[in-house]
Amino acid sequence: MEAFGRVLREKGLSYLIVGPFAIVLAFPFYVMVITAFKDQTEFYNTSVTPYWFGKHSPTWANASFLFHHTPYPTWLANTAIVGVCVVAITLVFALPAGYALARLAGRVGQSLGVGIFLTYLIPPTLLFIPFFAVIKQAHLTDSIWSLVLVYPSFTVPFSTWLLMGFFKTIPQELEDAARVDGASRLKTLSSVVFPISIPGILTVVIFSFSLCVNEFVYAFTFISPSDQKMVSTGVYTDLIRGDLPEWGAIMVAALIPSIPLALLYNMFLDRFIAGFTGGAFR
Amino acid sequence: MASSDDPARREGRYDRRELLRKAGAGAVSVGVAGSGFGQAFYGPMRFKGRWLKGDLTLITWAHFVPAFDVWFDKTWAPQWGQQNDVQVKVDHILNTLLPARAQAEVAANGGHDIFFDLAPRPQFEDNVINHNEVVQEVARKVGPIGKLARHATFNPKTKKYFAFSDNYVPDPVIWRHDIWNGIGMSPNTWDSVRTAAPKLKAAGHPLGIGQSAELDSNMALMSFLMCFGSYVQNEQHRVTIKNKRTVEAVKFMADIYQRGETDEIFGWDPAGNNNFLYSGKGSLILNAISATRTPEDRGLPFANDLWIWPIPRGPHGRKGYEHVMGCWWIWKFANNPAAAKKFLADLEINYRDAFVASKFYNFPSFPGAVPFKQIRKLVAQDKHKPLGKYGVLTTIAQRYTTNPGYPGYTNAAFGEMFSKFLIPQMFAQVSQKKMSAEDAVSAANHDIQDIYTKWRKLGKI
Amino acid sequence: MEALAARPRGRRWTNVFERPGVLASVLISPAVVFVTALVGGPLALAIWLSFTNATTGLHGKWVGLENFRHEWGNPAFQHAVWHTFLFTVISQAIVLVGAGLIAHALMKNFRGKWLLRFLILLPWAAPIALSLMAWKWMFDTSYSIFNWTLIHTHVKAPLDVPQYLAQPKLAMGSVIAVHAWRILPFAVVIFLAGLSSIPKEVDDAAAIDGATGLRKFWSVTLPLQLPIATVALLFGIVFTATDMAVVYILTQGGPPPSFSTEMVTTWAYKTGVESGSLGPGAAISLFLLPVLAVVSIAMLLFARRREVS
Repeated sequence: MEAFGRVLREKGLSYLIVGPFAIVLAFPFYVMVITAFKDQTEFYNTSVTPYWFGKHSPTWANASFLFHHTPYPTWLANTAIVGVCVVAITLVFALPAGYALARLAGRVGQSLGVGIFLTYLIPPTLLFIPFFAVIKQAHLTDSIWSLVLVYPSFTVPFSTWLLMGFFKTIPQELEDAARVDGASRLKTLSSVVFPISIPGILTVVIFSFSLCVNEFVYAFTFISPSDQKMVSTGVYTDLIRGDLPEWGAIMVAALIPSIPLALLYNMFLDRFIAGFTGGAFR
Repeated sequence: MASSDDPARREGRYDRRELLRKAGAGAVSVGVAGSGFGQAFYGPMRFKGRWLKGDLTLITWAHFVPAFDVWFDKTWAPQWGQQNDVQVKVDHILNTLLPARAQAEVAANGGHDIFFDLAPRPQFEDNVINHNEVVQEVARKVGPIGKLARHATFNPKTKKYFAFSDNYVPDPVIWRHDIWNGIGMSPNTWDSVRTAAPKLKAAGHPLGIGQSAELDSNMALMSFLMCFGSYVQNEQHRVTIKNKRTVEAVKFMADIYQRGETDEIFGWDPAGNNNFLYSGKGSLILNAISATRTPEDRGLPFANDLWIWPIPRGPHGRKGYEHVMGCWWIWKFANNPAAAKKFLADLEINYRDAFVASKFYNFPSFPGAVPFKQIRKLVAQDKHKPLGKYGVLTTIAQRYTTNPGYPGYTNAAFGEMFSKFLIPQMFAQVSQKKMSAEDAVSAANHDIQDIYTKWRKLGKI
Repeated sequence: MEALAARPRGRRWTNVFERPGVLASVLISPAVVFVTALVGGPLALAIWLSFTNATTGLHGKWVGLENFRHEWGNPAFQHAVWHTFLFTVISQAIVLVGAGLIAHALMKNFRGKWLLRFLILLPWAAPIALSLMAWKWMFDTSYSIFNWTLIHTHVKAPLDVPQYLAQPKLAMGSVIAVHAWRILPFAVVIFLAGLSSIPKEVDDAAAIDGATGLRKFWSVTLPLQLPIATVALLFGIVFTATDMAVVYILTQGGPPPSFSTEMVTTWAYKTGVESGSLGPGAAISLFLLPVLAVVSIAMLLFARRREVS
């Protein structure tokens, strides 16, 4: 009985803590949903409650405007392409570097690691103008590939650090066991280390992708033609006419990437945690 | 589904994109982007199967009167392109992002041929060509440039036109006739505005003269200062803000705020005062006529009660700045300066269409391009009530509009003071009782002097 | 010795990689080369710019430390520094406590956990420029949903409602709150990783010792979480200090007076880009670097020491 009481209390506590936070964190998305499907005349009318629809809602008008009268699908595609490419590049650079820094390097490695991390401290507001000059030299202005080139400059340091920390939590014994069994270093890497590092890889994928999707300063500096823009810059520049943001369309635009990404992250989260708890000791 | 938004205005800019989409947008754009390595996608000309000689790229703002962009992108630019054998490509971005883009293009020594901004940017003088040629060409056809534009885009020290201004926008007050009628007053003088303030607020309809870090507040407050005889700089470009008149003006506005306005005036962006009016709450704002066109488009119930008047009279008369001034400039690194010059000259010479397309928002910087008599005839044809309401714009344009920096020329120092919103800052200090009027004026004077000294040292003033 | 004895016979060239130093260099150098090449040039240029009086374009006259000295004495800059400090410290404090609690609670299994976790991840999944537009709408001076609620529940008169982005202290609070909102999920994920990596043996040992609830938290969970918490805090601090999105989109550094929410990043942007003084703008941005470097190194050393123990 006492154990049941304790279980109830613990679970209750969980709900008590997580519940309110979840509500606060998700509330703006509720507002987004309502506004996205509300008729234009209704959200400028204070007699219609902002918590629910009015008489003329819900409506697809805002979504229809977004998809038929702006290059929104193109923006989504651009963002996805840039995200995937940058994640791939990041993994290629950061995975080996992270591993090496965690295992192999010594004193020099530590300082290198700190050095790489320090590049992450540089604010984009400092670099975006010199970067633009570089992009111009490379003839990449107004192209999404300019971003594919530049984004790794902050995803790689960050990911290297993340992976370094991650690899440190994997006990050395596993690799040593493999080496004792006669595997070369390279083979150890591919058959022992790599499978274990899946959670780490997933983490890098999630974090890097999210950094790319959120980036704003470089995206609006390097790209001005409407159909090459990213989702963030496209919505911000094309749907705000100074006088009049197209709130309905903006909310639709905000929901479309957010919900799938949150679902994706949520799914990855389980595997990534499972990796931490189970993988290393299997 | 019922949207009171005019569908035509939305279609305009995006028809090219629709064509793209039908061609398999995603794949095409990736292919073009990837293989083209920065080759921007040019307009509908290609689809007509004819390759035109020469290219011209422009970047400009997303006009507050969307119909203008429709005309510019779909009618004017393609037609001009056809007649001159040039492919014209126009990009639009949000106006607040224009300065950043300009800086980046200069730093990279590459970008668009012609750049547009809503204010003259004297700091780019060394990076742009001399526009004297364009000004002279237009002057030959329609008459000289207006004093307003000349003082805004010409550097008397270097004798160079660092920008070509095609239009300016007069800045009236937009007020709710029905509400003011209810208290039996009108905003003819700043004194009447001050008297009316508490009554309007009590009626639930406060005034809306912004004191925020944004363009509209800058314009409104600096115009207000001029009505009190206070100027930031004089003809010799010396800072002249620290005097009794400024102190009086600041105290006056603080009084208006404390008795007749709400705190929101400190947190607006350029759309803030517009929305304040559209919500039905506001009784008066200083804004260009986009603030009346939008209620008309949206069919707001009080659209016919919005009157347009010149800025109220202060102890030193009525004076205002232009709300915004359209300035084009051709970078030194432009690929096609000849075409660029012709484009701008032709645009101004034929400005009547632009004027009408903008629904009277854009007044021509060369008065001869659309003489005031012609303007008056055109605005008289506007059918919105009260009939003839847009007629006063000509009066405002002719009598009460000056360039930023009046009585001097617009220069880089003035521009920096403007971009840092030092004037709204000064007013807000006093309105919120954080500083005495004298101290606030002193502090602003100090900051502005700093900026002027810096640019003077650079030899720009 | 065993390792030597077990060295595989095989193609000679792979033997090179047996030496840790070589393998390490091969693995690390791509990243180092890439980042240095990409960032090095622009960074050097930016640093050089900060010592000149460049306005537009990338050339200006050398003025030495003049930009730095001038900004140091500039009240606008001083305010920006103070605001950045407040903004960073308060938002990260909220995030640390919040994320710690949430992560801890999410370690257990309960019904609806997946859904609640989904809701918690939303702010981080949404592209920031877009979710900020939603916040802008929620804080709107005329149409704010909060104010609508206050008016309709008769708590406040229509003209008396708070203006979240217009009243100086409130604006700072709003900006801090929104930033914390956005970072919270990210910190939760990092904390979850840290909590998950606490080996089961430790958990069991604590249970055997009879440590439960608060005591367990204090003497077992907390110390073990310290390294990961430090990392989360460090990234949070760096990200907060160098990011201008929240302030730029919500308030542009306003409201007047004293630019109540101006941060070093937005001030640098205003000076360098919008006013056209590139040199001073670069100098302002550079101020952050040494400060952040010192903080980072201090925290990393702290984390390393705790890790060892």
